[in-house]
Amino acid sequence: MLSKSQAKIFFLGGTGVFTAAFLALTFDTHRKVPAQTRQANITPAVDRGKHIWEDNNCMGCHTLFGEGAYYAPELTKAVERRGKPWLKMFLKDPEAMFPNDRKMVNYHFNDAQIEDVIAFLEWCGNVDLNGFPAKPPLAEKMKATSAAPVVTTKPVPAIFDMMACRGCHSLGGQGGMAGAALGAPPLDDVYKRKNKAELAAWISDPAKVKPDTKMPKIPLTPAQLEEIVTFLSSLGN
Amino acid sequence: MKFASQKVAYWFFASAMLLFVLQLVYGFIMGFAHVGLDVLHQWIPFNTARAVHTNLLVFWLLLGFMGAAYFIIPEEADQELWSPKLAYIQLIAFLAVGVTALAGYHFNVWEGRKFLEIPRPLDYLVVIDVLAFLLNIGMTMLKGKRHTTTSMVLYMGLLFAGLLYLPGMIYFDNQTMDSFYRWWVVHLWVEGVWELIMGGILCYLLIKLTGVDREVVEKWLYIIVGLTFLSGILGTGHHYYYIGAPRYWLIVGGIFSALEPLAFLGMAIYALAMAKKGGRKHPNKIALTWSLGCSIMACVGAGFLGIAHTIPQVNMYTHGTLVTAMHGHLAFWGAYAMIVLAIMAYAMPLLTGRKLWDSPVATWAFWTSNIGMSFMTGAFAVAGITQVNLERRMGFDFLAVQHEIEMHFIGLLLAASLFTIGILLFIWNFIRHGLPTDEALGADIESSPAEARS
Ligand code: HEC
Ligand code: HEC
Ligand code: HEM
Ligand code: HEM
Ligand SMILES: [Fe+2]
Repeated sequence: MLSKSQAKIFFLGGTGVFTAAFLALTFDTHRKVPAQTRQANITPAVDRGKHIWEDNNCMGCHTLFGEGAYYAPELTKAVERRGKPWLKMFLKDPEAMFPNDRKMVNYHFNDAQIEDVIAFLEWCGNVDLNGFPAKPPLAEKMKATSAAPVVTTKPVPAIFDMMACRGCHSLGGQGGMAGAALGAPPLDDVYKRKNKAELAAWISDPAKVKPDTKMPKIPLTPAQLEEIVTFLSSLGN
Repeated sequence: MKFASQKVAYWFFASAMLLFVLQLVYGFIMGFAHVGLDVLHQWIPFNTARAVHTNLLVFWLLLGFMGAAYFIIPEEADQELWSPKLAYIQLIAFLAVGVTALAGYHFNVWEGRKFLEIPRPLDYLVVIDVLAFLLNIGMTMLKGKRHTTTSMVLYMGLLFAGLLYLPGMIYFDNQTMDSFYRWWVVHLWVEGVWELIMGGILCYLLIKLTGVDREVVEKWLYIIVGLTFLSGILGTGHHYYYIGAPRYWLIVGGIFSALEPLAFLGMAIYALAMAKKGGRKHPNKIALTWSLGCSIMACVGAGFLGIAHTIPQVNMYTHGTLVTAMHGHLAFWGAYAMIVLAIMAYAMPLLTGRKLWDSPVATWAFWTSNIGMSFMTGAFAVAGITQVNLERRMGFDFLAVQHEIEMHFIGLLLAASLFTIGILLFIWNFIRHGLPTDEALGADIESSPAEARS
């Protein structure tokens, strides 16, 4: 059996060897990370965004690269998932976008700060994370078992992305990620459920029609509202 | 107790208990927020509650470690503490810095990096304070008549814990490198040098409580901390899988972190074997119960629940979910909270001269808190696994899944209430001991022939 002094040598020797190995790998990591993370794309805006991220401890609710808290969504792929227009509108007033739901802090960011935060999240989204987050392996199987929804082939006007509708609703086979949880239906066949007047009333102020709704009131000019309503009701023709 | 200066330990322990209770309060705030009752959101948003909860945890554990060192080192070195005055100054300064940091979190003042939220200027004060502590302990050891392995291991653990705090202070504009060095603090603490501290305290307690020969106990201590570093250093790689670091970390981290439970398993087997082997009937049974309980719960929480999600293919889906919170709770409780409570259970009668070790309150405190924490772990586990399946594997939206698992947080709150009752009982027993007194000096309340030998 080992004597005490042999045990001591095992401890000191092992620690020495593995510390050396760890330092060598750390050195190599320093060499490889700039390429893997596209470090060249860290613009001043990205750096400012990182400071906003840290100064407000966003990590105390969210995860980023899977690190942080488990109270709010993982944000590594937020830009890819929601799109920039949706994020802009969301960050202006988080609660308005998710009425009656779990709360984020409203930081009253100005437009420049919002640009910085989004730049930072976009840079994060482009880091090669060795495959994280994985595509949900069971999602495809589940889709195959549910009926295919109606999808329009008409070109969708830009206004639907600009005003973040497709952040919540799917339309033309795209979008809808943020709304699935809230029960936001696809808009391809909404003409079957609502006529022009009903659409206009709903979209201009959803809570007036249905007080406990989870659809936010989105600021639209009369012309924009007209364009949306016309397009949606034209899908039936 | 043997030396009057050991009394400083009491004040570290008392402060630790106070902060522990506060930690639980903030835990409840988060638990309620998870079930949708976030009435405090405007004043204490979730990120504030979280930073306070986890920082208080680290804070009271460090106070507990310091108290343990102030109690153990004079006795091991056979020497009065170098400067009790410095110890008191260092305690008050540490509390002042900590409370300032915690108050700042309520006003959106922090560094925003998980576990290292303390703002930079306060970081420097923490470093100075820890240096004062290390100096005090180090001088005591130098002047001491005896140099034991137990005290060396304990000291090395504390020293490296201090040193490893420094890499966490380097700024990187690259989030990946930022995170890379954050783990030098977080991982290399809990799965590295803190295990030395735990091992040192456990070793001391086993020598005292079981009467097994020091040479035998300390030999095993070397082997166990050897295993810790052998696996734990490269095991850091299990945090580098998916943060933008090179791919080889999947292999290095996967293999070495899978070996990490060996150190915890070793610790449990060693503690149980020593307890069985030792012929000594020390009257303070509850201290031995806490010591053995610590080694077992650490083995389950850190070892078993750690390996459960450390394999890269599993971690791909569990990374950053409530599964991590499940593991975090039982690991911190088993390994570090329990070792601090164990040394307190051992030291309090010696510091105050009051033998409350037989009291039913002490026994109830042990079982209620451990059963409560086990149920909490279960609640986090069910919530976490459901989250992994629905969100990560089926692709449902985050918030939709959170609403599905709210129920399990009601379970968590119930279990947490049980746990809290256990902790309050422990503190009640702590208070009943009264203050440390010089009358307890040299009093042989342990009354056992083995004491003369050690
Ligand atoms: C108090 C907790 C909390 C804090 C702090 C917080 N968030 Fe959030 N955040 C949430 C919650 C909850 C959601 C989910 C939507 C909702 O209910 O509002 C969210 C959603 C988001 C989203 C949309 C993500 C998506 O995929 O839908 C972004 C982007 C975001 N937060 C960015 C930030 C940034 C940037 C910060 C820091 C400046 C921050 N959050 C701080 C709680 C928080
Ligand atoms: C934050 C997510 C969100 C955004 C952004 C959003 N909606 Fe909605 N929307 C919803 C939800 C949720 C419902 C279902 C509401 C209910 O029944 O309470 C809904 C319902 C609707 C309906 C009625 C659907 C039906 O079948 O009756 C229409 C029409 C609609 N939205 C249009 C829009 C348009 C146009 C925009 C962009 C200007 C938009 N929405 C933006 C969440 C959203
Ligand atoms: C007492 C020892 C331990 C403590 C206190 C502890 C605590 C923690 C905590 C608090 C976290 C979350 C950290 C963060 O996200 O910032 C964590 C993560 C993790 N721990 Fe441990 N741990 C211990 C031992 C272990 C061991 C021995 C293993 C492996 C066998 C392990 C495997 C992991 C893994 C894989 C993660 C990452 C989870 C993720 O990807 O989200 N831990 N641990
Ligand atoms: C009253 C009892 C407690 C309750 C209700 C509670 C609740 C919580 C909650 C809800 C979280 C946040 C999870 C999230 O991000 O969504 C958390 C985090 C944490 N708690 Fe507790 N907790 C309690 C006691 C404890 C104790 C006793 C310990 C340590 C021994 C502890 C250690 C931690 C740690 C380490 C984290 C961070 C985990 C991680 O990041 O993975 N908690 N707690
Ligand atoms: Fe780790």
